[in-house]
Amino acid sequence: MKIKKGYRKERLDRGIKARVDDVFAISSYREIMYLAMPRTLFIIFLLLLPLSGSITGPYWQGVIIITCIIALLTLSWTFMYSVGLISLGHAVFFGIGAYIAGWLSSSLNLSPLITIPLAALSGAVLGALLLYPVLRLRGIYFALITFALPLFMMRLIEATGCLGGTAGLSGLHAFPSRLFASYLVIFVLLFVLFGYLKIMDSDFGLVLRAIRDSDLSVHAAGINVPLFKAQALFIGALPATFAGAFLTHYYRFVGMTAFALEYSIFPITSAVIGGTGLFPGAVLGAFILTPLSESLRAFGTLRIAIYSLLLVLFIVRLPEGLFSFIQKKYFQFERWVPLERKDDNAK
Amino acid sequence: MLEIKNMLVFYENAIAVNDLSFTVNEGDIIGIFGSNGAGKTTLMNTISGITLHVKQRMQREGGQHISIYGEQIFQGEDISNKMPHYRVKKGIVLSRERHPVFRDLTVEDNLILGGFLIKDKQIIKESLALIYEIFPALTRLKKRKAGFCSGGEQEMISIGMALAANPKLLLMDEPLLGLSPTAQDQVVQALSAIQKLGLTILLTEQYARPIMPYITYGYIIENGSLIMSGTREELMQNEEVLSAYFGVNK
Repeated sequence: MKIKKGYRKERLDRGIKARVDDVFAISSYREIMYLAMPRTLFIIFLLLLPLSGSITGPYWQGVIIITCIIALLTLSWTFMYSVGLISLGHAVFFGIGAYIAGWLSSSLNLSPLITIPLAALSGAVLGALLLYPVLRLRGIYFALITFALPLFMMRLIEATGCLGGTAGLSGLHAFPSRLFASYLVIFVLLFVLFGYLKIMDSDFGLVLRAIRDSDLSVHAAGINVPLFKAQALFIGALPATFAGAFLTHYYRFVGMTAFALEYSIFPITSAVIGGTGLFPGAVLGAFILTPLSESLRAFGTLRIAIYSLLLVLFIVRLPEGLFSFIQKKYFQFERWVPLERKDDNAK
Repeated sequence: MLEIKNMLVFYENAIAVNDLSFTVNEGDIIGIFGSNGAGKTTLMNTISGITLHVKQRMQREGGQHISIYGEQIFQGEDISNKMPHYRVKKGIVLSRERHPVFRDLTVEDNLILGGFLIKDKQIIKESLALIYEIFPALTRLKKRKAGFCSGGEQEMISIGMALAANPKLLLMDEPLLGLSPTAQDQVVQALSAIQKLGLTILLTEQYARPIMPYITYGYIIENGSLIMSGTREELMQNEEVLSAYFGVNK
C-alpha cells in the first residue's frame, strides 16, 4: 500500500556477494573471480612494478621502494590503531630499526641479509620495552608520549654524539641490486598485509579488537590487557623497524633524519585517506599519497600547499576513506524504491 | 499542538517508525508505550530533530543511510525539515534517554547550560528556582559535579535541563529507565507539577504502571506501528495491554 508519492534509497548486497558469503555456494569461476580477483590483481600489479624500470626510469623505481616503505609504516600504524594505541611518533620505531641496522653493519661488518632481520626483531623488542611502562595510558596521553619519543631519541644522539652523532653512519653495505631490494620490500609488504589480516581474524586478533572498543570490559573478562597490548606493540612495530633497517641499507647511510617528523606524519595521512583502521586501505593510501607527493615536486614549495589542500578535501568529502568507499561500491548497489508501508512488520 | 502525519523512518533498509500518525493537544500528558526496539527513541529523536541531524551528518560521510518521511506540524507550522536548535527555540525540548548530563560540570552549571538559548538572565534565574521547587533533592547538590550524582539525580538534572530551555512541549524519553522505585516516584510526581505549569508532555516508557495514573491519553506501538490508542481507562481494560505493559497475569 502506497501512502505517499515518494521514493527512498535502498542499499543491498549484490546477488553474487550474498551467494559467495556462503562458502558452500561457490560453484562457478565467476564467483571465485569475484572473491579473489581484487587481491590477485593487486599482487600481480605489485610484482610487475619493479620490472617496469625500462619505462619509468631509475627515479621512479626509487619512488616505488619509498612507497612500499611508507605502506609498511602505515600498516604498522594501522595495526597499533586497531588495538587502540594511537601513535603520533612512528618515527621512533623506524629510527630504532635504522640505527640498529646501521650499527650492526658498520661495527660488526655484517651483510644486509643478517642485519635487517636482526634489526627488525631487536628493534621491535626495544620499542615494545620502551613503551611498556606507559601502556596503561590511553588515547591522547599515549599519543603524546609517542610524539615525544622521536624528538627525545634525536636529541639524545645529537647531544651524546654516539652512533655517529650529527654526521650519522655512512658507507654501509648495500643490497646486491636494486631489483633485489625492490622484490624484498614488495614480498615483505605482501606478507605483512595478509599476515595482519590473518592475525586480526584469529582469536588473538579478537582480543585486540575488543581492547580498542572497551579495555575495561576486556579486563572484566579476566584478560591481562597490558600483556596483550605489549604483544600487539611488538607485532605492530615489526614492519616499522624493518622499514628503517631496509632504508638504511638502501641509502647506505643512517642519520638523525631517521627520526624525522615525516615518518610519523606520512603513515597517519595515508591511513586517513585509505580508510582508518583498514589494512588494505593503509596500503592504498600510501600508494596514492607517496607518488602524488613525489610528482608534485615540480611545483617547488607549493607542493606542500597542494598536498595539504588535497588532504583537507579528502577528510571533508570522504571521511570513511577511499577503500571503504570502493568496497561499498564493489559489494553493494543502491536503488530507489517506492516508499511502502511494511504491513508484514505490523502485528 | 503537535501533529504527526504518516511518519516513516528507515535506518538503511530497516524500518524503525512505520506510518505513525497522532496528535498531541495542549496540556496533555501523552504516554507512548512499547517494548525494546518498538521505535520509541527513534520517534522522540525524530520529533526533536536529532534524527534529521544524524541523517545529514551521515549523508556528508557518504550515502543516504536514514530516510525520514511524513509531516510534523507544530502549532500550525511544518517543522519536518527544521534542525534541532530551531525546534528548541520554538519550544520542543527533549530530555534524552539514559539521562545524559555533562559529567564535569556542577549541577547548577548543567541547568544553566540547558537554558543557554534564553538571553534574559532574570528568566533563567526564575526557571532555576522553579526547577529546584519541582526537584527539591537538587537544591543541596547545586555545587556537586553531575558525574558524581546517582542515576535518579541525573535523571532529575536531565529533566531540569530540558525545563530550563522554557519548553512548550516537553519530550521525555524513558524517564524512569534504571531508577529505583523511590526515584521513580519522585520523577513521576514531578510530572504533574510540570503539567500544572502549563506544559504539554510527551513521554515514552516500557513499563506503564507508575505513569498510567497521570497520563491523559496513551499510545501503544510495536515494531514501529501504532497498534492501539486510548484513554487511560480504555487501555486498562485491554487484557493484552495489561499483561504486556503492567505485568498483570491472568
